[in-house]
Amino acid sequence: MKRDIKLHVIALVLVVIAELIGAKSFKVGPGTVVLLPMLFALIMGMLLGPKVLKIVDMDDMKRAAPWINISVMLLIAKYGTNIGPTMPLLLKSSPALILQEFGNLGTIFLSLPIAMLLGLKRETIGACFSIAREGSLAIVSDVYGLDTPEGRGVMGVYISGTLFGTIFFGIMAGLLSPVFHPFALAMACGVGSASMMAASSGSLVAIFPQYASEIQAFASASNLLTGADGVYMSIFMALPITEWLYKKFSRGKAAVKAEVGADE
Amino acid sequence: MNKKFVDMLVVLLITAVITLVGNFIGYKINPIAAIPGMLILIGIVVVGILLAEIIPVKLPSIVYISLIGIIITIPGFPGAAFFTAMVSQVQFLSLTTPVLAYAGISIGKDLDAFREVGWKIIVVSMFVFVGTFVGSAIIAQVVLKLIGQI
Repeated sequence: MKRDIKLHVIALVLVVIAELIGAKSFKVGPGTVVLLPMLFALIMGMLLGPKVLKIVDMDDMKRAAPWINISVMLLIAKYGTNIGPTMPLLLKSSPALILQEFGNLGTIFLSLPIAMLLGLKRETIGACFSIAREGSLAIVSDVYGLDTPEGRGVMGVYISGTLFGTIFFGIMAGLLSPVFHPFALAMACGVGSASMMAASSGSLVAIFPQYASEIQAFASASNLLTGADGVYMSIFMALPITEWLYKKFSRGKAAVKAEVGADE
Repeated sequence: MNKKFVDMLVVLLITAVITLVGNFIGYKINPIAAIPGMLILIGIVVVGILLAEIIPVKLPSIVYISLIGIIITIPGFPGAAFFTAMVSQVQFLSLTTPVLAYAGISIGKDLDAFREVGWKIIVVSMFVFVGTFVGSAIIAQVVLKLIGQI
């Protein structure tokens, strides 16, 4: 109990410092990088661990872990209340909202060739079929098992996402802000993770304050859709496509190798 | 009431207080003015969790929580304007900061696993994130243009 209080007080202090710093944005080329208070809180929290400041130990870290899921519920409730009032706009835009869900498959076509060029084997399949949140872990553990190459792939992306996903998404959304319309970017924020969505849509709101309510509504609606369709999309589309592309590419690679071998 | 539920409620209330402090510092919203909105959010969460327990179809509680949030703020629902106005006093960014503060505190436990992952997977992860975001943004942009929304 005493340890719990210590951790909550630490969280309060982190929040106070983070909010005092406030959102910082600066131009990078045509885009804008937005550093939100949540990122400062995250980074300060990471520094408290046994590796750096030694203020929290392993037991503390394990205690605080379930609180992430509890505190995120208030955020989810808030997102729901953003969707309700903008329902008419969302319905008008529903074709875009629904179809952009298939954009989540875009990750396969971009990341799979990279993974194979880097020399990953079947780790590629686990790593590249989705952004590897909890649902994806469950699917891979069900289909392949987590102690397989596919399992290591999905775990790797899961851990990367946990550690720097929010930072990465927050910065990426800002950098892409001159390329797409804020509504399209907002829909893209719904990747199926509340914190990644919060970071990317938060950056957008800081850049386009005039569209704050629309951005939050599109992002939360899209995130909700991804949450609902993600599992089916993964099982029936993403995983089969990834398997198929992997086979194509590895055959291609083998053919190239054989040719090189014949020349020698 | 079981212990798990009470423990959760305690963390929920603590998070709410921390959020109100952040909401005051970062967005200059008087905590007294934001309390009704925060109570509504807490109510939504609690009802959502209870529904997830009661309803036999196994869905994660966040599904119910977001649905309740949506329904009570849809224009035309009794009290929707009131709920929307009250909840708007709680800035969504001030709700994100405590979540990531807890995440930051607990994340160190994954650092060792991260070291084992290797740099290749980290590079691949970045392309995974870019791919899903840009893929959705392209489709959304094209369709929104086609239906004349932008």
